Amino acid sequence: MDEILIATLRSGTPLVYAALAGVIAQRAGIWHLGLEGLMIAGACATIIGIVVTQSVLVALIIAVAVCMLGSVLLWLVVEKLKANQIIAGLGLTGLGLGGTTLAVQSIFGTQAAVSAPFGLPKIGPAFGPFASLSVLALLMPVAVIVVWIMLRRTRFGLRLTASGEHPFAARSAGVNPSMMRLAALLIGGVLCALAGAELAAGSLNIFAQNMTAGRGFMGFAAAIFGAGHPIGASCAALFFAVVGALGIRAQIVFGDRVPHDLLLALPYIATVFGIWLSARLRGGTKALTGFGELRDQ
Amino acid sequence: MIGNVVPAVRAAVFIVIALVLCGVIFEIAGFSAPLMFESILEGAFLRRGALEQALRWGLPMFITALGVVISFRAGYFNIGGQGQFYMGAIAAAFVAEWLKGSPAALVIPACFIAGMTGGALWALWPGILRIKSGADEVITTLMGNFIASLVLVYVTAGPLKDPSGSGQQASSRPLDAAYRISNSIGLSPTIIVIAILTGVLVWTLLNRTSFGVLAGLAGRNPTMVEWQGARVWRIGLASFLISGALAGLAGTIEFMGPNGRLAGGFLPGHGFTAILIALVANLSVVGTAAAALFFGGLASAALFLPILAGLPSAAIDIINAAISLFITAKSGFIDRLANLGKGQWTKS
Repeated sequence: MDEILIATLRSGTPLVYAALAGVIAQRAGIWHLGLEGLMIAGACATIIGIVVTQSVLVALIIAVAVCMLGSVLLWLVVEKLKANQIIAGLGLTGLGLGGTTLAVQSIFGTQAAVSAPFGLPKIGPAFGPFASLSVLALLMPVAVIVVWIMLRRTRFGLRLTASGEHPFAARSAGVNPSMMRLAALLIGGVLCALAGAELAAGSLNIFAQNMTAGRGFMGFAAAIFGAGHPIGASCAALFFAVVGALGIRAQIVFGDRVPHDLLLALPYIATVFGIWLSARLRGGTKALTGFGELRDQ
Repeated sequence: MIGNVVPAVRAAVFIVIALVLCGVIFEIAGFSAPLMFESILEGAFLRRGALEQALRWGLPMFITALGVVISFRAGYFNIGGQGQFYMGAIAAAFVAEWLKGSPAALVIPACFIAGMTGGALWALWPGILRIKSGADEVITTLMGNFIASLVLVYVTAGPLKDPSGSGQQASSRPLDAAYRISNSIGLSPTIIVIAILTGVLVWTLLNRTSFGVLAGLAGRNPTMVEWQGARVWRIGLASFLISGALAGLAGTIEFMGPNGRLAGGFLPGHGFTAILIALVANLSVVGTAAAALFFGGLASAALFLPILAGLPSAAIDIINAAISLFITAKSGFIDRLANLGKGQWTKS
């Protein structure tokens, strides 16, 4: 049982951070499909940072800076140039995937995985069987609650939500929705950097091409499944992680009788299920149709 | 014709901006940007046989992109082209395996039917989830891509595994030479004819049938179409199925033509580039053909770069990504500039 819990926390922590970033962006009115790209940029920057500077703190700062830069780029394109959020988000994701490959190639001269001598600090033996989890896993519930309080209890959070729900009303109350979106994306950038750092330096201390494997998109899905609420989205993210952990467990239990690759697909299937369920329970997501209008620009 | 000028100018301007961004990224990563662009230009368009290579890569992407055009016009964001492409190739591979030994005149059409059905079925479930339950098709089709690529890995390492293959990358047993529709260079009259035929059929479907007109209207204003008495769900589901079938067709072509076998994770950027092609072409069929040639050239440069120029092929992924970042952008300034010739200043 402990093993499944540890595996869930280990794979769920990056998802939760990404989901929080998705929630904040969604509240501010942005469908953030760039999460995947920011996450991999964060993962890559953390590992390269550790290898080059030998300091986890400096590596994290680099990762945060890179992800914030990516967020500003997305904001410029989506807010200032009125690009389609989904296409631009996918573009940012592609930029992250390609950019990290290019960075690894130019620094290490190879496309192979890069491993770092050490990773994020562990939470230590005081936590018994959970000693091997990283501090970011320990901070995860704190981050969820902080985001929740920020969105629900602070002036800034309410303004942010208003900018997404009813930008016109927000504007008449003296709020600049565009700036709120920039703030939302920047906070999301920090969270994505943490998600990437946890993914790469949480336990394996390795960066490999495309290592996020759709986790950013899952974080986005968790934000929808969780109805744009930090706690709901975190639960959704942990649900995806549990399904993944059970799949890995099933692999150990059943061995070769169940195809290994199909068990790996379980979290993706769970994500589809989650999106379907949330559409059944709450009605479809906000109309994403109307893209025929792409032609009418 | 004038109506097409503004989008074309805008696309050109934003592509230039995207390329500038790429140049900055190349420089930051420690590569010389002018050298990089020069090599890409050479690899994509200037070297000997560049046109053939652009066609080889561009024609399958053209077909998948036509599917994207149909679903985007109908207002559905089917971005699962990659998964539908894989599923089409897998279905064709199974049928080819099953009918092994039969005459080519039977096997080849059967594979094409299977491939298109496979692609269509992989688009069917997100379509049903979207139309019946309102489940966001962006996520479901994206997840479908990941699931399909795992199925591909499973199939190539399991049921269709080539026992003689090396352990490095699993691949399926090669397709019998008699059933191949092109050699491994990948351009043959069959493929060209299929691509032209598909283009003509899709153009007719979109511009000369009630389905095409209604799909275009449903993409803009589904409520109005519903009130006119057309059944929007049918148009939507049909557009999902057709776009899936076209991606499956492209998968079949890649399997039976240039590749001749399945390999885990082959052509990973196909679906994404197809979306880009459709958007650069502003969802027009003729434009899609032109854009497919351009992106086909870039795709062939991705092979040219590491081998002949010693530069990483990720550069092409970055160019594609940067273009997609900017391609839907609007700018009042460019619109006014483009409208200058018409002697009017329109509000953006």
